[in-house]
Amino acid sequence: MNNNADEDAVAARRRALAAALRGGEDVVVTPSGEVEFQSEAEEQGHTAIQVPDGKLARRG
Amino acid sequence: MGFYWYQSDPDLLEAEQMAMGKYFPSFKLYKLEDGSGRLYWRGKVQPTGKGGMVWDLMLIYKNTHPQAEEGMYGGSIQILPVKPRLVDIAKTLPIKPEKGLGLGLPHIYRDNFGRNEEYFICTADPKYFKASQTRSTSAASSLSWACKWIMLCEMWINGEVSDEVAIEGVY
Repeated sequence: MNNNADEDAVAARRRALAAALRGGEDVVVTPSGEVEFQSEAEEQGHTAIQVPDGKLARRG
Repeated sequence: MGFYWYQSDPDLLEAEQMAMGKYFPSFKLYKLEDGSGRLYWRGKVQPTGKGGMVWDLMLIYKNTHPQAEEGMYGGSIQILPVKPRLVDIAKTLPIKPEKGLGLGLPHIYRDNFGRNEEYFICTADPKYFKASQTRSTSAASSLSWACKWIMLCEMWINGEVSDEVAIEGVY
């Protein structure tokens, strides 16, 4: 896979994560702070905290 | 009975330390040197993964912890990015109050910190924020919120998500 394809895949994954957050699906955060799907964390054996339910507040 | 929450409720402090040790072991606990007695965690995160920005964060407990004051965004734990500073990023962005971007960035608020006014991550709407004697929001859960915000903020700055990100209830 070349660099462009890698970058496309990374961007597509970010968009999928954003869509999951928008849809209220569960996502987790790993010890490095990376936002991941629960399934990814499980596959990689990461200890991860689930992002609490709820939406970001409007302010400012 | 101590003056500060961590003196009067050592079990809560222990629970906070255990949660941070489990989920974010690289973060360390300190006390502000301003005489306020406030505790804070400091460490680095990389919410968008390899290749993404590394954020140096402070998670600062208010002395009211675990009680959140009415209408306080972010509850009893404030999230302050030390590097990059939000105020520096915001200066480079257009101000669009009608779109919820009155400070340039979505979902932030400003408050005094030391001698400066700083911009903090507005992690959660108060109505979603758990704060009571029996269900307090921990630094670990606040940090997970912050990582969500950072990922979305980076995507918004890069044009990967629209200004809708600033609308309450969308993300």
